[in-house]
Amino acid sequence: MTQTQCAAVAFAGAVKAFGAVRAVDGVDLNVARGETVALLGRNGAGKSTTISLLLGLTEPDEGSVRLFGAPPERAVRAGRVGAMLQEARAVPRVTVRELVGFVAGRYPEPLPVARALALAGIAELADRRVDRLSGGQTQRVRFAVALAGNPALLVLDEPTAALDVAARHAFWASMRGLARRGHTVLFSTHHLEEADRYADRILVIDRGRIVADGTGEQLRRSAGGGLVAVDLAGRATDGLERLAGVRSLEVRGDRARLRTDDPDATVLALAALGAIRGLEVAPASLDDAFLALTAPEPEPAPLTAPATEAV
Amino acid sequence: MLDYLRLEVRRTLRDAGFVVGGIAMPVLMYLLFTNLGADDGTWKTGAMVGMAGYGAVGSALNTGGGVAEDRAIGWLRQLRVTPMTSRQVVAGRALTGSVTVLPAIVAVLAAGGLVNGVRLAAWQWAAIAVLLWLGSVPFTLLGLGNGYRLTGQTTGVANMACNLGLAVLGGLWFPVALFPAWLRSVSVYTPTYRFAQLGTSVADGRAPVPGAVAVLAFWLLAFGSYAVLSYRRSGRTG
Repeated sequence: MTQTQCAAVAFAGAVKAFGAVRAVDGVDLNVARGETVALLGRNGAGKSTTISLLLGLTEPDEGSVRLFGAPPERAVRAGRVGAMLQEARAVPRVTVRELVGFVAGRYPEPLPVARALALAGIAELADRRVDRLSGGQTQRVRFAVALAGNPALLVLDEPTAALDVAARHAFWASMRGLARRGHTVLFSTHHLEEADRYADRILVIDRGRIVADGTGEQLRRSAGGGLVAVDLAGRATDGLERLAGVRSLEVRGDRARLRTDDPDATVLALAALGAIRGLEVAPASLDDAFLALTAPEPEPAPLTAPATEAV
Repeated sequence: MLDYLRLEVRRTLRDAGFVVGGIAMPVLMYLLFTNLGADDGTWKTGAMVGMAGYGAVGSALNTGGGVAEDRAIGWLRQLRVTPMTSRQVVAGRALTGSVTVLPAIVAVLAAGGLVNGVRLAAWQWAAIAVLLWLGSVPFTLLGLGNGYRLTGQTTGVANMACNLGLAVLGGLWFPVALFPAWLRSVSVYTPTYRFAQLGTSVADGRAPVPGAVAVLAFWLLAFGSYAVLSYRRSGRTG
């Protein structure tokens, strides 16, 4: 077997349609062993279908999906995969220890149950019944279930969807611990900041296609452009949106914020107008990059900055 | 798979609805029906088998309710991403069903022997228990078929309807002798009637009639196919 050289995850031209909707529309992707990869996209972009294909829960209509060089079912049977599924709810009438212990027992080289519970931060809940826990605690139980088998590949579908800020931080702290132990981790999210902070690599998916692949930094750079801001100092805003490079103009109080494709040209144009008081130049944010990559149509740009919660 | 069986049996026994509906109810109904009014004693034996059967059918169908619940909460999907094969999952479920029918059978037989003074030879007790246990398999399959096909709530309703309908039609509650002739002719083809007949023949000291085995075998095949088809369908729709 040449499994040691095989990528943990490899999609080649994978397509999955539901009726007329191509939920996954020709996805090629590779995840190397030990990588932590975020699958970033809006709701309905194809994240969950991609994950279903990856886990062998659905078969691709075209193309292929392989985990460690084998079909997903084989990798799952061999105990190389642990997953936290999105729509799962609490299993009734079992204790946390019973549930995690049962799942661990299915795998060839599981973690000790106490270790899995500690990693998920629920050691003190071991003897509580799963259906009597809070939403955040249930979420951590599901995380413990995913990692109980000590799988080489950990797949997490929207792992922090129901968590508050504190629980989210605790979750990512334990996740980092796992990634450091050499596990390959693939998680889906629609939180840009999570993808940026916790993943080595971000795959942006939109309308069933991977539209960008790289680190947060690379995505920001590929989106290009930036934000130039100056004090208006009483000056009229007329014409500012027609300066070189400017894509959109936003006025906040006495400050003009110009979103631009070419910050240098914009700054020179502003200098020519003598409007450089309080000049500030910032690179595009990941928000901008994400919107640029997934926007329904690139033109015309909106006059005001798009709200980030729409992401 | 033994671990899975243990987990699911544990979950079933912690279900108050199962303990009350599947064990306590048949015992209470048996004691009630046999101790109201005068009785010659034979009905105490017949009703004992009938109610043990009724309890077993209810518990067997209840397995399907568990499946529907597991499907709804995503537990079956979670199992599909563990190394367990779907065959192990289904077999484990069917085994769970066959274990969870035992408390009802044992409880009603115990009520018959200890409270109602039913006297049978040791081999008859053993044979009745074993035959009722084996005879409950078709009902487990019917429950699984419902569970894999329907949603949680409709499974509950469907199981309840199957349970009550088959119990009454098959004479588990009232002797078939009380039925009008046309209903009696329907009754002999029900799985429940033949199921109870396995036990009543033994209680009378006879071997089960071939007709009972034949009709039950037919239903075993029918419900088994139903369960397999439902499971395949649930696999397709996720």
